[in-house]
Amino acid sequence: MSIYEKILNEIDNLKPIPAIVNQILEIIEEDNFNMEDLSEVIQFDPLITGKLLKVCNSAYYSLNRTVESVQDAISVLGLDEIINIVLLKSGAANLQKNQAGYDLNEGELWKHAVSSAIIAKNLADKKEIDNKQMIFTAALLKDIGKIILNQFVGESFTKIMYLVDNKGFSFMEAEKKIIGVNHAELGEKVAKIWGFSSKMIEVIGNHHLSKPSKEAEIETYIVYIADNICMMMGIGIGADGLAYRFHEKALKALDISSIELQGIIADFGENYQQVENLLKI
Amino acid sequence: MKVIIGVSDMKVSDNPDETLITYSLGSCIGVIVYDPEAKAGGMLHYMLPDSTIDKVKAEKNPFMFADTGIPNLFKSTYKLGAKKNRMRVVIAGGSQILDQKGFFNIGKRNHTSLRKMFFKNNVITDYEDIGGNVNRTIRLDIATGDVYIKTSGKGEAKV
Repeated sequence: MSIYEKILNEIDNLKPIPAIVNQILEIIEEDNFNMEDLSEVIQFDPLITGKLLKVCNSAYYSLNRTVESVQDAISVLGLDEIINIVLLKSGAANLQKNQAGYDLNEGELWKHAVSSAIIAKNLADKKEIDNKQMIFTAALLKDIGKIILNQFVGESFTKIMYLVDNKGFSFMEAEKKIIGVNHAELGEKVAKIWGFSSKMIEVIGNHHLSKPSKEAEIETYIVYIADNICMMMGIGIGADGLAYRFHEKALKALDISSIELQGIIADFGENYQQVENLLKI
Repeated sequence: MKVIIGVSDMKVSDNPDETLITYSLGSCIGVIVYDPEAKAGGMLHYMLPDSTIDKVKAEKNPFMFADTGIPNLFKSTYKLGAKKNRMRVVIAGGSQILDQKGFFNIGKRNHTSLRKMFFKNNVITDYEDIGGNVNRTIRLDIATGDVYIKTSGKGEAKV
């Protein structure tokens, strides 16, 4: 079996993404979606409902009363926020474990995923871009390929780091050169297998803007910038560190100045403790 | 005992049982000061170069910015009996994403901002581990003043 075949086999070992994620994304993709459809989907998933209520009643929101049902949760926190919590809880199973190949301790990749998702959603809000939930989910799951590649990166770590330290390679360029595939390409494969929309597959596959020939979609730029902000802030980054390519065109596409970028970092930094609390729930 | 300094955070100590530590510096910069005679020191982890982008936030949390955080670190350490002329200063972080240039290069600007302030105030660093595209964790042992820098994927070394 070639390494590539071995890697593809590893995809089967991922915990499947809960069906509810695709159901939610499908419903909200329709122009005039029905709110009741959505709350029903959530309501009939007892596991998710339980997790949802736990988050709603945590110190993160510090509500002055207890939220007892999905309906209740929607009326108190708003539909957007509830969908985010549900999506967040659905992504956790795969992303929480440690990834030794990337020198990421338990919870670090998860911290990075959640922070990216929150920053991406805030950016979409700020720039008045639709598709917020898709952007949130794509940002959350963009590094799913790392979970599969982890073991292989670990085995070839010295070779990969040699190219990064001495040959001007980005970490993912070195992944590709040494292992034959990078974590974004693998993420794209997983996204296809999980039945995500073509746009979401595109965002996950191109979240480092590594497909040079193409102008990216605005959603991809948002997820890209959120990822870069997390790297700069050092949130859940491992041995790959900041060894990725910076593309100013993403900031230009969204009309983000250097001052505005710093403002976004400051805003997120201010609420970071809250995010850390959210991760513990 | 481990005392964790978060992002946009600062702590000082003269408790010999304590080790100050800050994790995962990307473009942020960690500043360590230590007076071996007073056996007192401090650590700052700031994110951004310049507080003029948001005065309100700087007032609420001066440790977010270089220009408000650094003076605060020095003054807080003086309160524990540390003297500027005896202090060792170590800085680490300020990493950059590949090809990150100009105004968007937060890591480099974080470093420039610090250098300007140190130059004006006659502070000389004893050790700098700045730039590149790595992720660093730093710690300061209050009893000895020993400083350790861990680079993710490359292990830890004493400065």
